[in-house]
Amino acid sequence: MAEPKAPKLAGDKLAFLLSLVPYLMDQGRVTVAEAAAHFGVPREQLREAVRLISVSGIPGETATYQHGDLFDIAWDDFEVRDEIVLTHNVAIDESPRFSGREAAALIAGLNYLAALPEHADSAAGSALMSKLARGASASPTQLAVEVSQTNATLALIRESVAAGVQLEFDYLNARGGRETRRVDPLRIDAVDTDWYLRGWCHSREALRTFRLDHISNATVTTDAIVRRADDVSLSDRLFEASSDDLVVTIEVAPGALPLLAEYEPELVASGTEPGESTSRVRAIVRVSHFHGLKRLAASMNGTVTILSPPQARQIVKDWADAALSRYTVL
Amino acid sequence: MAATVQKIPAEERLFSLVLALLATDGGLTKREILSTVQGYRQRYKVAGDNASLERQFERDKDDLRELGIPLETIDSPGDPGNNQNLRYLIPRGSYELPADIRFTPEETTLLGLAALVWREGSLSADARRALLKLRSLGITATEPLLGYAPRLSLRDAAFTPLNAALEKHMLVAFEYLKPGETAARARLVAPLALFQHQGRWHLFAEEPDSKLTKTFLLRRIVSAVTVTSTAFPAPPPGQGERAIAELDAVWNANLATVEVEAGSDAAARLGTRRGSTVTANGGLELHYADANILADELAGFGPEIAVISPSALRDAVIARLQRTAADHG
Repeated sequence: MAEPKAPKLAGDKLAFLLSLVPYLMDQGRVTVAEAAAHFGVPREQLREAVRLISVSGIPGETATYQHGDLFDIAWDDFEVRDEIVLTHNVAIDESPRFSGREAAALIAGLNYLAALPEHADSAAGSALMSKLARGASASPTQLAVEVSQTNATLALIRESVAAGVQLEFDYLNARGGRETRRVDPLRIDAVDTDWYLRGWCHSREALRTFRLDHISNATVTTDAIVRRADDVSLSDRLFEASSDDLVVTIEVAPGALPLLAEYEPELVASGTEPGESTSRVRAIVRVSHFHGLKRLAASMNGTVTILSPPQARQIVKDWADAALSRYTVL
Repeated sequence: MAATVQKIPAEERLFSLVLALLATDGGLTKREILSTVQGYRQRYKVAGDNASLERQFERDKDDLRELGIPLETIDSPGDPGNNQNLRYLIPRGSYELPADIRFTPEETTLLGLAALVWREGSLSADARRALLKLRSLGITATEPLLGYAPRLSLRDAAFTPLNAALEKHMLVAFEYLKPGETAARARLVAPLALFQHQGRWHLFAEEPDSKLTKTFLLRRIVSAVTVTSTAFPAPPPGQGERAIAELDAVWNANLATVEVEAGSDAAARLGTRRGSTVTANGGLELHYADANILADELAGFGPEIAVISPSALRDAVIARLQRTAADHG
């Protein structure tokens, strides 16, 4: 596994030092490897932090940082065996409190996830939130997120993961068709109120992302999975780019660009056609088919317009016309 | 004294400052700090101008407070108001996590997941630091049965300045485009809470003169947010929950009826929404907070739905579809 990246900000490094000292005090003796894994940092970053701690301390009575005013470590253990033993400790006795913002972020995050089976005990959940508030150095900032509702499919996915077997279900695809899929479940993703299953799709022989609310008739099969979560690397991008992707040029109000972040729009130079709106920017997006775009363009009408290819424009127009025809017969 | 000044990394200076301020009982004056603490003392001039070092100290104090480290000052009893005699310290009781606050491996897992939610935007740094402090306690999280990667999106540019103003209790000014209006209006409000409702970020705020509370959709803040220097008293806790409850009341009171094509994307998404019910003749009753937002959403479903009532919503959806058809014709 690749080692995690080291933080760059001095504030982050300080938070790390202040967190590392009480951990080392508690551990007594710990290997660099174990401590680095515990904090999720590269080993060399951990060694650097230990070196810095070992020469740090307080000015002391003489205001000259005498030996007894500094932290100390067992140097032989550190240099020869890559192990850390704090032999002298200064000023710090306990872990730091959370900041008001940190506590608020954790509390709001807990509430967002309160519907997960892992949170089954809601009394324990609220006790945990009040512990965080008490453990903060200032009142948590007033940040609130609704509980995100999941559905019964999640329980079946957990069941199939626990048994190590494939899951079979009917899936409503973006074109509006239904098909049966067989999947090795790998991970559950959520973005705000939407929940997704990331899995290895046997029907497509590829990694695929499925909306949980588009899955129906899910069954836990008896066939063993062929891919495990450890075998694949999944990015945060829900829909992986492919060389078969279609390139679409859109025109969008600049303020609305962040709302399209999931599509990773690339800005392109605007044309010089007369009468062209200057309050819009042009961008290209890559999509596996045009059918998601028709929903996007219709829901962001006046804000997002598809410019090319003509086929994509036609699909959007047909979508809007078909919708309008429902009202003429009503 | 050597002519070359040894370069001390910022984190070493900050760490030494925290240690010195934690270790002192009576506090240290600025002069004591600058002349003795590692990272400052190397640059301190006994008989010279220390203006740049003093500015460094001011920035460092801000950095510590930003991290939630409680930095306090004590006025000199004999000489109140004299900044030079102000004594700085970090009170141990406000700094240290109380001994009774510890977390089980299961709780550590849940907190790890809760922090993971903030992968986007300005709260990601706070969540990352919260995790460091959690790991400081040495508890190993239990492996969840299933991998989760939940995420809250934070794409509204207004979020970061509003969150800062929220923490410092400062009035904010911005231009807001109210749904259904064509021109934005300038607003000056006291931010009470930021909250996400149905996947959208909102600001709950109070107008300083009228004392009326208002809810603003972050997406409709069309200017940069200015954090003013006017402070207001911190509101009691629970403002976010109050705001969600108020918006829920609006949500519950607003009802639209739509026809939905069975088995469609619209049926899957709208049918599972909170409070959605199927009517006797196969229509779907939906709750909503804002008719304009619902109209945008419903227009996106194209022919999979048709609005039956209210008629204003129906007209709004038709107008949107006509615009889409015209723009793509």
